[in-house]
Amino acid sequence: MTRYAMVIDLNTCVGCNACMAACAMENQTPVWKDKWRTYVHDEEIGVTDQVRRRFFPRLCNHCDNPPCLTVCPTGATHKRADGIVLINPDRCMGCRACAMACPYDARYEVTYGDIDKGREFYGELQRDVPSMDKCSFCAHRVDQGRKPACVETCVGSARQFGDLDDPSDPVAQIVGSGIARPLMPHFGTSPNIYYINDMKRRG
Amino acid sequence: MDTMTYTTQHIWTWWIAMYLYFGGLGAATLSITFLTDMYCRPHRSLVLWGAVSGVVLLGLSSAVLFGHLLHHAAVIYVLTPLAFIEKPDSWIAWGTQFILWMMVWGTVYALPYMRESESFARFPVVGRLINTGAAAAVAKFCIRWRSVVGWLATINGVGTAVYTGLLLQSFPAVALWHNPGVPLLFTVSAFSTAFAYLLLLMHTFIRSEDDEDLRHRYELLDLILIASELVILFSFFNYTLSGSESGYRSAQLLWHDWGWLIGFIGFGLIVPFLLELRNLTGKSFSRMATVVSALLVLTGGYLLRHYFMYAGVYAYPW
Repeated sequence: MTRYAMVIDLNTCVGCNACMAACAMENQTPVWKDKWRTYVHDEEIGVTDQVRRRFFPRLCNHCDNPPCLTVCPTGATHKRADGIVLINPDRCMGCRACAMACPYDARYEVTYGDIDKGREFYGELQRDVPSMDKCSFCAHRVDQGRKPACVETCVGSARQFGDLDDPSDPVAQIVGSGIARPLMPHFGTSPNIYYINDMKRRG
Repeated sequence: MDTMTYTTQHIWTWWIAMYLYFGGLGAATLSITFLTDMYCRPHRSLVLWGAVSGVVLLGLSSAVLFGHLLHHAAVIYVLTPLAFIEKPDSWIAWGTQFILWMMVWGTVYALPYMRESESFARFPVVGRLINTGAAAAVAKFCIRWRSVVGWLATINGVGTAVYTGLLLQSFPAVALWHNPGVPLLFTVSAFSTAFAYLLLLMHTFIRSEDDEDLRHRYELLDLILIASELVILFSFFNYTLSGSESGYRSAQLLWHDWGWLIGFIGFGLIVPFLLELRNLTGKSFSRMATVVSALLVLTGGYLLRHYFMYAGVYAYPW
């Protein structure tokens, strides 16, 4: 079985936001209202002369036990055998329960207004009905043997994408080593985005 | 991963509070009137007022939610009973079915009374519909299977009231919502507001001397429910004070807000409790006290859900 996951190394993310741009162009996200499938938070950490910047990329965690899937009343949110959590826009009625259930703030709404705006902004639009939206791990690219747009474009190789069930995959090895940890696993969501904390390397 | 951000949400706001409030109130109103009609004494006026109000309230509840959907046509996927098979794990799927069937069984239960009522016969469309052959057949079925229809309506009514709490409970990131107390609190509140609503009706539109025992019983039950709600809220207060940062911050929001403290706890619960207690234990009974108390409980019911929605705190590790 294949089980896709991503490892994000906070030590090598330089905050260039190329991942956000690549994702927006690939997936036609409503950037005009500051909604992204992946977002890089720019933070200042520390006090006085210890202050430093840290860039924190986030996206849908493609959880093994996704609360967004459980609450979805229409079955629009579904999970593939390879672990990718997707939304079927035709089936989504847009009740937003998934956005309320997600502990990772990964979902946003696409309205009729956004569809009109999207046609002006992107030209030909991939969608014609409103729905909730989120990262799809670029499933359409993955199915062609390619990497998600954010991973392919990352200049610092901060993002790595791979198969947790393949012991020879670098992502599986990093996760297996324990150096990379998921966000808020206490919710029981079993997320598949792992972070290598920058503080570890600072000693 | 080392810093945390705490924030409330702006996705489900007043309109979901309305959805939960009207849904719980409508469902509990229907259940109480039918149980009264089945086990206390047959009461045409109460059933007609209760059924019409209940169905209108449930309709309002559904309309508020429907109006805020992004893609209205896709609602068809939750309207068919297939939703149970396709999404048995989704509380919205269950809740939609509870509300739908509550409305169906509620109307069927009230139909024999509607056909006897001269007022209903005078309504332009309804008057014609309830006098058709099909309506006569349904009414005959209902008279024969009155308890079954009544219990089907009641079960869906209780289901709807419980569902309003289970819906919030299914969001794991917010400590205020994700705990077993929420369905209990919302169910107790739904039935308390429904008793208040029915007391209001019985002191205004359905004024009959014969109903004195029912009014007394309703007021007593409402008093018990308000007391239970206060106990549940006190345990919520203790629960949110420590244990999780999300819960603690919700407690800070709620218990430092005058609208919650004075508006809901004070005027929505404690004042009605004292007014009803005075009516039930004192030497003199005041109709005005019951009416004021009912209006306060009804307002408090909305305030509870409103503040609950706004006080849910998410904790993000960025």
